[in-house]
Amino acid sequence: MSADPYSARVRDLFAAPAHAGDAAGGEAVYVADQDVRLRLTATAADGTIEVLRFRAWGCPHVIAATEAACAALEGRPVTDLENYTAADVMQNLPVPVEKTGRILVIEDAVRSLGQRFRDRT
Amino acid sequence: MSEDIIYLDYAASTPVDPRVYERMCEVSQSAYANPSSTHAAGRLTHEVIGRAAEQLGGLLNVSPETLIWTSGATESDNLAIAGGARYRAHRGKHIVTMRTEHKAVTDVFEMLAQEGFDVTWVDADSRGLLAPDVFAAALRDDTQFVSIMFVNNETGVIQDIEALGAICRERDILFHVDGAQAVGKVPIDLASLPVDLLSLTGHKFYGPKGIGALYIADRPGCHVAPILFGGGQQRRIRPGTLPTDLIAGLGMAAEIAAGGIDDDLAHLSELRDVLWNGIREIDGISLNGDPDGFPGILNVSVEDIEGESLLFALEPICAATGSACNSKVQEPSYVLRALGRTDMQAQSAIRFSVGRPTTIEEVEFAAGRYREAVARLRQLAPDEVA
Repeated sequence: MSADPYSARVRDLFAAPAHAGDAAGGEAVYVADQDVRLRLTATAADGTIEVLRFRAWGCPHVIAATEAACAALEGRPVTDLENYTAADVMQNLPVPVEKTGRILVIEDAVRSLGQRFRDRT
Repeated sequence: MSEDIIYLDYAASTPVDPRVYERMCEVSQSAYANPSSTHAAGRLTHEVIGRAAEQLGGLLNVSPETLIWTSGATESDNLAIAGGARYRAHRGKHIVTMRTEHKAVTDVFEMLAQEGFDVTWVDADSRGLLAPDVFAAALRDDTQFVSIMFVNNETGVIQDIEALGAICRERDILFHVDGAQAVGKVPIDLASLPVDLLSLTGHKFYGPKGIGALYIADRPGCHVAPILFGGGQQRRIRPGTLPTDLIAGLGMAAEIAAGGIDDDLAHLSELRDVLWNGIREIDGISLNGDPDGFPGILNVSVEDIEGESLLFALEPICAATGSACNSKVQEPSYVLRALGRTDMQAQSAIRFSVGRPTTIEEVEFAAGRYREAVARLRQLAPDEVA
């Protein structure tokens, strides 16, 4: 029998991604790799991420993991973006081992967004 | 099955018909002896198996003696292909099949290639059909074995078995047909079709899992070498103690199918039309297969949608992706790629397959859910550039 490949958390995040969309007027990055297309936009004030939004084309784990990343990073210091790792996501979100490469794409996008903020300042 | 599931995966497996279940329960209690035993209890079991063979023979219009019981279509395909090709190997080692066959066929051909057989893979057209002239051109003087599936499991395309079989018969080539998706679903008259070997399985037409059969035509030169060894049962072609209750269930499923194929096809056609008409206006949608194919299967692709997320968003509908994906990373369907679909089109493919118990309300719901899922995933997706 096939095990359910989706945890309850993946199901919840996929069903209602609260951070889907665009942060109007914010910094933006776009990454496409490993069967993933990801756009992140964010606004920040006083070194803190105010709004972080995403648009994603990918499997349910990618969409859920991106939503989880946005939820975790919103309200955090902008400098956290460049230190973000895929392990941070996978700590709380089980991802099949064959999909870990896709989660690294999320890491790349988040770090790239952090770089954008650093370049701006 | 849970009431909140909408099952549209009848090409993968079907529920056991209550009449089949009743027959199996009855037989499991009354005919438990080994059918090879010559005592009275064994003879009773032997008679039960004989009745099932008559029922299946009636569905296919063949003599019961031409049927060999197996564990299912995979074993039947293996026995037919490996056994048939090896049986004819002394005459020639060129064997032919299509790129769009089921893995139970293609993997055996790959194995035979390792044994020294020369395999030709013939191409289908963009609908999945094999043109007789294309097929004939692939044959050689040393061609001894051909395997072509009746109804494609992913697209529902129906091959012209009569024309392809006639070409084989003219050249005395052993012709195997994988009928796993066809038997009990479309009319098959093996008394008139030029088919030498036909594989089938019970669970695709409301019979039990774990039981199938291989038809071997009663004509000179039509035979298979065994691939299992260990007893004299079934003329030593397929040894092993027969599972009487499963066989009785398959026989009953065959009898039920024989009495209702036309009604089933009319029902399936109506369901497919409702489903397709409910989604055909979606931007970028395309049908994979032949509109005149088996109506129980509707395979569709849609532009710029990720297939696994689409299938997930369709829940509680149980359908199949057009991919080789289970819980692993998706790989676009080799069948759809062989029909010329792009990787993007193939990975987004969903196979809906309807069955006897499916209702109009269920396919209307499925169409609505599919429209919603595509719209939602498109809204979620980024533009190409930031």
